[in-house]
Amino acid sequence: MILRRSLCLLALANAAVCAHAADWPNFRGPTRNGISVEKGWRTTWPGDMPVAWKAEVGLGFSSVVVSEGRAATAGYADGKDGVFCFDAASGAVLWTHRYPAELGDKFYEGGTTGTPTFEGSRLYWLSRWGNLMCLEAATGRVVWEKNIAQETGAPIPTWGYTGAPLVHGDLLVLNVGDAGTAVEKATGRLVWKSEAKDAGYSTPFPLGNLAMFGNAKSYVAVNMQTGAEAWRFRWLTEYGVNAADPVLAGGDVFISSGYGKGGARLKLQGTQPPEEVWKTKALRTQLNAAVFHEGYLYGVDGDTTQKSPLKCIDFATGEEKWSESGFGSGGLVIVDGNLVALSGMGEVMIAPASPSGFKTSARTQVFGPKSWTAPVFANGLLYCRNGRGELVVLNLK
Amino acid sequence: MKRRQFLQYAALSGTSTFLAPFVRSAEPRKLRTALIGSGWWGKNILKEALASGRCLPVALADVDANALEIAADQVQDLSGHKPKLYRDYRELLAKEKPDVVIIATPDHWHALNTIEALKAGAHVFVEKPTGHTVNESRAMLKAAVESGRVVQVGLHRRIGPHHVSGMKFLKSGAVGDVGMVRLFAHSPGDGPEKPAPNEKAPDGMDWDFWCGPAPLRPFSKKLHPGGWRNTLDFANGTLGDWGVHWLDQVLWWSGEQYPKRIFCAGGRPVLGGAVLNDKEQTSDAPDHQVATYEFEKFTCIWEHRRFAGNDTEKHKIGSYYYGTKGVLHIGWKDGWTFYPTTKGGKMEHEDSQLQEPDGHNIQILWADFLEAIDGRKKPVASIELAHRSSVLPLLGMISWRTGRSIQWDAAKEQIIGDPAANALLSRPYRGPWVYPSV
Repeated sequence: MILRRSLCLLALANAAVCAHAADWPNFRGPTRNGISVEKGWRTTWPGDMPVAWKAEVGLGFSSVVVSEGRAATAGYADGKDGVFCFDAASGAVLWTHRYPAELGDKFYEGGTTGTPTFEGSRLYWLSRWGNLMCLEAATGRVVWEKNIAQETGAPIPTWGYTGAPLVHGDLLVLNVGDAGTAVEKATGRLVWKSEAKDAGYSTPFPLGNLAMFGNAKSYVAVNMQTGAEAWRFRWLTEYGVNAADPVLAGGDVFISSGYGKGGARLKLQGTQPPEEVWKTKALRTQLNAAVFHEGYLYGVDGDTTQKSPLKCIDFATGEEKWSESGFGSGGLVIVDGNLVALSGMGEVMIAPASPSGFKTSARTQVFGPKSWTAPVFANGLLYCRNGRGELVVLNLK
Repeated sequence: MKRRQFLQYAALSGTSTFLAPFVRSAEPRKLRTALIGSGWWGKNILKEALASGRCLPVALADVDANALEIAADQVQDLSGHKPKLYRDYRELLAKEKPDVVIIATPDHWHALNTIEALKAGAHVFVEKPTGHTVNESRAMLKAAVESGRVVQVGLHRRIGPHHVSGMKFLKSGAVGDVGMVRLFAHSPGDGPEKPAPNEKAPDGMDWDFWCGPAPLRPFSKKLHPGGWRNTLDFANGTLGDWGVHWLDQVLWWSGEQYPKRIFCAGGRPVLGGAVLNDKEQTSDAPDHQVATYEFEKFTCIWEHRRFAGNDTEKHKIGSYYYGTKGVLHIGWKDGWTFYPTTKGGKMEHEDSQLQEPDGHNIQILWADFLEAIDGRKKPVASIELAHRSSVLPLLGMISWRTGRSIQWDAAKEQIIGDPAANALLSRPYRGPWVYPSV
């Protein structure tokens, strides 16, 4: 174990050395943009889908995180939320941490919505209901836990807290309250909080010292150390659902919401409010944020209630380049220049990320609907989960 | 110049350049349309109004400034027209004098909104059930009759294609003699219900106004958005929300206008006792109910469960008509299906034809409303019919509240020999709002 850790440190200099160089330790991956640069995996396979392992994790739409040979996610069953940790290679259950929780089936099946965060020997988890905890990654032992909603008095938004904890130095930055909340990651001690108003559903995204995320009525940027608000960009969306993470591209950022709202490219200006470059109705990301690759955005346009298309839009203009109909409210990641997408109906599709069209090299029906969770790629394994809690891991090595 | 004179001159002149502007103005004037309650469902209806090409969205009213702003954006996207925005529906009606008003507020507001809109001279499309209590519904009917305006109620299952064909099949005698009808809506769910904290209402929302004539409850996400359906101050639970659609179908099929006797049992054994204190609250509608409606020629049972909804039974929502030749299920997304009981009987089925994503038929109901406004027909879900249908779940709720069976005198619209139950035909209003008079 010690040897492996030191190898990983060396890996900073040479990624190929470490077995876990291509970990996916937090929501949206190592660089928080849905991109993995991992090479040497296959974009096509003959015959049946190459299943590495399968598991049942309960109801919900939590994504998977992968670090140092472990894979974790969450789900709900029998009156309890569960945080599950698996051996990434074999799928053996390393530990499970369960606690009483509500189903929360408000206009959908219910279950967990957020995603845990690995950092070193710890796993951090914020539940829909405000249960915030630090678990030992190796054992699942509770290092500390609390209910952050109760402690701060922040209201729980309609579908609960969904943003994953962001580790920043000694702090965990959370999308809780009007403009975030931070606790000490070692102890859970509250460091700063914001007004007791509804949070949005996105994960705090670091921009230097600032974290940017959606609240009920805008995207806000706050200083991560102090909680001081730098700016807010008014972004009124139906039911306060600002869920998609900001997508950073150069010095600009793309924000987008569903319910017909649309997207906008904003020019970032440090601690000054950003300036709108363009707006579009061509890409309205209700749940999963788009992914940026070589001048283009790829993402799902529309709501869970529709058979939404997968689209490519030009980041320079906001214009649509192509639209693949019937994709549904799934998600995608980009791995070494390839779109690795999981449709709302549970079909994996792999295609080169290109503005000229969506030409798949592989398509496999992994499970049934609803799969609203973007797939995760780490160390040659593709992690897919659906709302019912089927977790299917494909081996693309 | 009077219009008729103008027409004569225009005809005489015979030049196309002179005629052109006149031809354009001869197109029917667009109906100045307003929406009261600009949430999810209100916007769905307004979208159909805009899609009809005959309605100009002049104004929106909502007690939530955020909901107004979002709706205004969508209306502008769809129509290119910027509606005027109002917090107070009374001000909207007084200033805009709309031709048509859509009412999609929670149930406890339907009566006051509708009556005021009719007084302002508008035709009204109001959501089901008509009233929150029986006498509100009666007052709405009275106001509609006095105004001479068209009132269409959002009972889109009166016109939905598979309901129309299912009814035709049923009335053809193909199901035989029907002696019993079972209506139901089941969903999966868990218990006990955990209270949600009371909160400050969101910025921009006038919560006192939202509660209006109903008791002023503390704001909670249990209530808004959508959850008010299961809080009895504002609605009547699943029986009021879903039951009215299916009970309406029973009146349509049978031609009977009312049941003689009603008994309803139910409770919250799964969700647990209702909570309302200064810190938190739960919903308070029953998690299940069984209501028996005794008609002249058949018995009708309503049944809902907000737990244990799975595939044990083939259908989860809709109606079973039990006849001597078989069982007809008329459902929602699953269309209608006939299951014969006779040897050699043929199973028959027709798919639903619904508008997605929300599975309704508002588009054709709106078209029917416009035809009625044009004077070509009576609206298919008229206030007269919808009043009788809406009374049924409301009487079911009164039986459930009093814990005894009630007998309905439809001519007098009174419960026979039960003053305590009759008292529940109305309810006290919170001032300054005044209960409408019948």
